[in-house]
Amino acid sequence: MNLDYSDVDLEFRDEARTWLAENLPTDARPPDGQPMREFDLAWQQTLFAGGWAGINWPKEFGGRGLTDIEQMIWYTEFARSEPPFTLNNSCTFVGNNHGGPTLMTCGTDEQKAFHLPKILGGEVVWCQGFSEPGAGSDLASLSCKAVVDGDELVVTGQKIWTSYAEVADFQELLVRTDPSAPKHKGISWVICEMTTPGIDVRPIQTMAHTTDFAEVFYDEVRIPLSNVVGDLNDGWRVAMSTLSFERGTAFMADQIELVAVVEELIEEARVRTGPDGKRPAIADDEIARRLATARAEVAALGAMTIAGISRNRTTEMPGPEGSMIRLFHGELHQRIYQLALDIIGSDAYVLTGIDGDGVWTGPYLQSFAYTIGGGTSDIQRNIVGERVLGLPRNK
Amino acid sequence: MDLLPTDEQSEIAASVASIVADRQSADEAVTDALWSAASEQGWFGLGLAESAGGVGYGLAEETLVAFELGRACAPGPFVATMLAAHIAAAAGETELASTFISGAERAAWVELDGQGGLIFDGVEARFGVVMGRAPSVNTLDIGSATAAPSLDQLVPLHRVDDAGPAVARLSGADAEAILLRAEVLIAALCSGLAAGTTAQSVEYAKDRLQFNQPIGSFQGPKHRCADMAVRAEAAITQTRYAAVAVQTSRPDAAFHAHAARAVASGAAITNAQVNVQNHGGIGFTWEHTAHRYVTRSRIVGTWMGGRFDALASLLSQPPAA
Repeated sequence: MNLDYSDVDLEFRDEARTWLAENLPTDARPPDGQPMREFDLAWQQTLFAGGWAGINWPKEFGGRGLTDIEQMIWYTEFARSEPPFTLNNSCTFVGNNHGGPTLMTCGTDEQKAFHLPKILGGEVVWCQGFSEPGAGSDLASLSCKAVVDGDELVVTGQKIWTSYAEVADFQELLVRTDPSAPKHKGISWVICEMTTPGIDVRPIQTMAHTTDFAEVFYDEVRIPLSNVVGDLNDGWRVAMSTLSFERGTAFMADQIELVAVVEELIEEARVRTGPDGKRPAIADDEIARRLATARAEVAALGAMTIAGISRNRTTEMPGPEGSMIRLFHGELHQRIYQLALDIIGSDAYVLTGIDGDGVWTGPYLQSFAYTIGGGTSDIQRNIVGERVLGLPRNK
Repeated sequence: MDLLPTDEQSEIAASVASIVADRQSADEAVTDALWSAASEQGWFGLGLAESAGGVGYGLAEETLVAFELGRACAPGPFVATMLAAHIAAAAGETELASTFISGAERAAWVELDGQGGLIFDGVEARFGVVMGRAPSVNTLDIGSATAAPSLDQLVPLHRVDDAGPAVARLSGADAEAILLRAEVLIAALCSGLAAGTTAQSVEYAKDRLQFNQPIGSFQGPKHRCADMAVRAEAAITQTRYAAVAVQTSRPDAAFHAHAARAVASGAAITNAQVNVQNHGGIGFTWEHTAHRYVTRSRIVGTWMGGRFDALASLLSQPPAA
């Protein structure tokens, strides 16, 4: 047990702080469409050029070859630099945080060599094609089918809840390649190029007014067999590695950003009038206790992030304990924005975007996604119960 | 940067666990054998420098002891005596400190209220620790105190009109340091309690059959167990962070100590309550030990003003470094 940064860590932190002060974009992030894509990719390119992309990725894939500790330091410095956008909303999220790491763990040398530098270098956007109308929490029951035809897969079916599908170049796509096998044994994880003929992306507007959500239809979409990651029909194992990254480390940036969000909210509560119409909001006992609880829980979340890094040091992929952090984080994220709307008075009637300084209602609406995406809280509780605590599955 | 116990620390925790394992179902608070074993393992001087007669470890290791005491729901004035040794040593009362370190003397926990003082675990104690603004070790005359029925039968309770004369008292930076140490140790006790009830519920959910299957296969109990595990994990992890922050005198040590006590006291009490529910009828009986975690967490979790005090103190801190 120690909280000491090494000299290398400290040097890295200072370097990051200096670089961020000079290179952080000051303009607002466009809320959707191509302008958003261009903004996010431009930032990724800037990061890559500066040596800040893939901090914990191996050097052979264009990363910096450092540890999760440096990655955490980077996120901490980023959050402290008062950025005009949050990393979690970026359309580079899937590529950086679970598509890329999955390829690193399960991909062929060719797949890694082709895709990983493009992801890190900000050339491409990835999206996820896991959920279907009939396969949400029961992901393994997915039915989007793929038939082998020569050296190609022919995909027909539908995916849903795909963020950034309209602006994505590639998709991590789960398809059923063996309908006769038990449901977990007939799935394949494939890289789908989004410009392939037969793909139809239809946007879905979200309750947070964002339009990057979509359903995707596939009509005899031909994908080279060489795009299968892992073996044919081994996609469930590969998907579990994707999800272990999504649940284990992908939200580190948001977990760290919450520290700044809570501190900003405490400042709001000092300057805004509270429920009695006279004193500041922070003088109200209930608001004060909820703010202090948020502070304490965000601190605990930070400690859990460090403990998670300590635990992952000896493993290739994050373990199921990641679901404990994911569950705690998702619900805490929501409680913080719920509290925000109780504090900001009449500003709570006014809709804002989801990114930027002093915006609360947009992130509040967006926060509902935090206990749904990447496995609902109920699924996370199942994972904690079954895989961490060893409780039996329901028969 | 690492928040998992080292191998050496895990060994300390295991040796503590081995002697407190069966304490939750005991009928008396502390046996002489247990007190001797704790003294021999060096608990009471664990975090004191060897030059002060201690073992030379720090708060991180003391935290391991307190966690195991909580996990086993083991009663007794162990943490109070650890703190008494620190107060005496910091006040320059070397001889007094050494009597606590050796286990020859015990110190009870004292809480002051408007009507005087409440003594916890005072039966065999000739001293008490008072964690006020100027933390002190006071002499205690338990014979003249009024015994009160205790919420927790294994934590004897007495009332006194005043807390007695101080024989060692701290002020300034020493006072602040011992108060933070006490907060972290309470947080560790509470984290242990939260982990202990999680383990009880998980074990029961695996063993208890209804509708021809273990109740842990149903989402109701399963999800309550998962929530308990998350609460316990958040509590112990933040407590470890705080222990290291206090031990190394980081500028945000107070922030993290308050945060640890806030999270851990809530986790201990909530988990203890949910644990009774998870056990159904047997959980409501005296025979089962689930109630011991309820009453223990209600006592330990409210010392030093409890969660509300920890939250108020936390909110008055500047942001963490």
